[in-house]
Amino acid sequence: MTSPGDAAPVRPPPSFSPGVPRVASKTRYPNQRRDSSPALDSDLVESRIASSPPQPPLSATAAELPIRSASPYARSVRSSTPQLTRSSLGSPTDGRFDGPDDIRSLIIRSFSPVVGVYASVDTDELVRQKGFQGGFWELIRPFGENVPGKIVVRDSVGASRGWEDFGVRFVDLGGHPETSESQNSLSQLEAALEKQLESPDNPLGGVLRPKDFLSFPTTSPLYKSFLRQLLSVETPTPHETFRHPVASVIVISSRNTSPLETLRRLYADTSSGDRRQPEWVHPEYLRYYVLVHDEDRDDITESTKLYDQMKRHFGLHCHLLRLRSNQCVVTDDDSCQIPESEWLSPSERLSGRSEPLVDLDTDGLPYLFESDVTAIKAFVRELVAQSVIPYMENRVTVWNDQVASRRRGISGRFMSMSRRWAGFGSGSRSSLIGSGGGISGNFDLNHGYYKPDVPEAVLRKMADFAFMLRDWKLSASTYELLRSDYANDKAWKYHAGVHEMCAVSMLLNPLAMPGKTKIDDINQMVETACYSYMTRCSDAPNALRSLTLAMELLKSRGGSGIESAAKWAMRAMDLGLVGSIGQALFSERISACYASRNPIHGVKWGSRHRKAGMWSVLAADLWLRLGNPSLASAALEEAERLYADIMDSNGLFPMPDMQTFVDNLRHSVRMSYFEARGLDIGEDTAPADPLETLETEETSEKLNKRNHRKSLINNPVETGGFNIGQEDDNPANDDFERA
Amino acid sequence: MSYYFTILSPTDVPLFNIAFGTSKSGGDGIARFRFPDTAQYMNQFIIHSSLDIVEEAQWMNGNLYLKHVDTYPPASAYISAFLAPSGARFLLLHQPPQLPSTATGSGSSSLLGAGFSASALGGGSSSRASSSSIAANPTSPQTEEAVRQFMNEVYEVYVKTVMSPFYRQGMEIKSPVFRTRVTAAGRKWL
Repeated sequence: MTSPGDAAPVRPPPSFSPGVPRVASKTRYPNQRRDSSPALDSDLVESRIASSPPQPPLSATAAELPIRSASPYARSVRSSTPQLTRSSLGSPTDGRFDGPDDIRSLIIRSFSPVVGVYASVDTDELVRQKGFQGGFWELIRPFGENVPGKIVVRDSVGASRGWEDFGVRFVDLGGHPETSESQNSLSQLEAALEKQLESPDNPLGGVLRPKDFLSFPTTSPLYKSFLRQLLSVETPTPHETFRHPVASVIVISSRNTSPLETLRRLYADTSSGDRRQPEWVHPEYLRYYVLVHDEDRDDITESTKLYDQMKRHFGLHCHLLRLRSNQCVVTDDDSCQIPESEWLSPSERLSGRSEPLVDLDTDGLPYLFESDVTAIKAFVRELVAQSVIPYMENRVTVWNDQVASRRRGISGRFMSMSRRWAGFGSGSRSSLIGSGGGISGNFDLNHGYYKPDVPEAVLRKMADFAFMLRDWKLSASTYELLRSDYANDKAWKYHAGVHEMCAVSMLLNPLAMPGKTKIDDINQMVETACYSYMTRCSDAPNALRSLTLAMELLKSRGGSGIESAAKWAMRAMDLGLVGSIGQALFSERISACYASRNPIHGVKWGSRHRKAGMWSVLAADLWLRLGNPSLASAALEEAERLYADIMDSNGLFPMPDMQTFVDNLRHSVRMSYFEARGLDIGEDTAPADPLETLETEETSEKLNKRNHRKSLINNPVETGGFNIGQEDDNPANDDFERA
Repeated sequence: MSYYFTILSPTDVPLFNIAFGTSKSGGDGIARFRFPDTAQYMNQFIIHSSLDIVEEAQWMNGNLYLKHVDTYPPASAYISAFLAPSGARFLLLHQPPQLPSTATGSGSSSLLGAGFSASALGGGSSSRASSSSIAANPTSPQTEEAVRQFMNEVYEVYVKTVMSPFYRQGMEIKSPVFRTRVTAAGRKWL
């Protein structure tokens, strides 16, 4: 198959033959085609439809996609360039990066739009009957995290791209976000990790890294969970709008006696009542009205009538959700368990459900009828694909036209410059006094935020919207515009945030070249962000976030970015941003960074295996000190793998001090591992004269040991440790290997 | 400033090790690394890990003296390298003393950092924080120059030593004369 990119730009007119057979041959095996090109751009599919409309299977696929009003022909021409570049990006590596488990996708998904949920009392009651104590919000929360099917997002130049892993985050509008105690959330994070490490029912596979078939170590689940929790801090802050609601869902149920009045009241609550957002949140956001129909008790004709009425009153952003009100139990025929929410903040994890150890099946997660699940999924998809995304696209376009373009053009630069210079007379004096007041005067120093309707705040919101819509090019350029503004106004937290996000969106933008200068720019921005967060705002969690994001994304960039990635990770450790578990995790991460740097093709040098090995050994040491020998031994194995081609033929380090240290480490790891397993090690440790046994055992062991373990046998102390493994025989030894 | 100097054979086997401190501006010539005494292996780890960079750098420029090649930020250890034509590598790890003020400020909660800063605190207070121009900035041109002088002098002594009829290539250098000469060079330049 020709790559999608070269086909699209010179798309022949429908009558022209070459295009048609290709499509026809595809449609003969519709399933195969869809499987073989999962990353196919949706607009490409549409352009195919345009060339041969009467193909039934294709129109079936198109039915899933929300087709926009723009004519497909015009669109495909317009989007031909991005398509080309995108398909050229579709290299094998791209496929790896786009894997659902990958860190990059995790980071992208963590910045998903927030949708507030505000349900009437009767709805919450209905849902509580089903066994969800948290009400409607708790019911739909897990379903927002991954919207089924492909979501098509159009970016600022009109090119659309489908995303399989789009999601939104539902938050409870009523829930009063506690004021963020910054230092606290880091210690909470640490505590949550500790809890996860200690939880007895955690299958060991949950903490240990699975190895894939190429024996490249994948990221350890513990680290992923750390990252997830770091990124799922839910409290909204003024300086960035990712946690401000993009839309809010207003829900009533069919039990309500005065539905329309209730909806109005709920709306009033969200705009001026007690569910009003703080003043720094832009007050205009999308409202989406949902009627929950009780399948078990109420009449559907009544509900349909009411729904029609709602549509007349509130427009198109309405949905009729049909749920059963009976509680579902495991034994029901069509019961299915709701998935666990992926983005639990550390505090939620800490206060989370205590595991009911009695019945292992439930996991404490409630069950739902399958019909309910289907209904909720359909609702979420409709909400996202037809309301939230178009709304966000629309806002971005409007703001881009009204605010950003004014700033971008020549005259805009001139204006802002003249504003800056004009400020000399009055502004410099006021800044001398120290009140600053900023040159623009839009920044409210007393409260520390911008009002939501001033250009600075609107631009930030627009950039965040573009970021959440994954239009990183636009967001990067907008963040760049804002950087100097915030610095002039001395809005340091905004300043830090905008530098951080600018770096992140430049790194995420797949079209930007990872040139050396680019990396330097990015490093500079991360540096500024980190400095502003730490020194000017003493906001440790955000500093950690920016360093971690920079590290992960630079790592996924590869090449010369890896050095910087490791540098940022070390910086995070140096600043004391992470606790003791975090230190070990970050050491492992640095090791992974260095390990991912491959030697230059054809020559032996250029890799960083020695560095990677060193950090793995250090990580093993840290795990051991934390009393977790299984993780320590995993890190040690990793180190051995990395050192494999560096050690000499005997499997020894050339440096004596290193050798003794690693040997001792191995020994103590093994000891504490067996202690943890409750094995008796007293009997045959430390043979009377180690040297005596050495010679005899050395030869025998050499035969049956794995290659990269052979270095174990050279130290007399080790032999003692090894005896256990041998005499307790392979089961124990195997366990150890697996761990 | 504390120094750890190593000569590595082409197969990474250490031929010669010495640790010494600065003798400039009142230093007593005793090495005080930031690692606790139980963690002196870190010097070798850092030196060993910097070989990755040395291997890369040796193909990138034509000089014997490679200048500052690598840094280990957590302990602010700087590595300078010098290549001998036989393939032996001279590696010098230098570590500026940690000022007591920064030692208390830097993350004492961290496990690694705690070890480092605690030891540095002890080291820094006893050696009266020698602050020559070399010690102050390990990447400054003066430092590069001083290290270059040191490396050249050691190289000269090294050539004389390995030309001894009793020395075979790849053997550890045990000559006490060589050791005293290296110490003298260190005292003179660093």
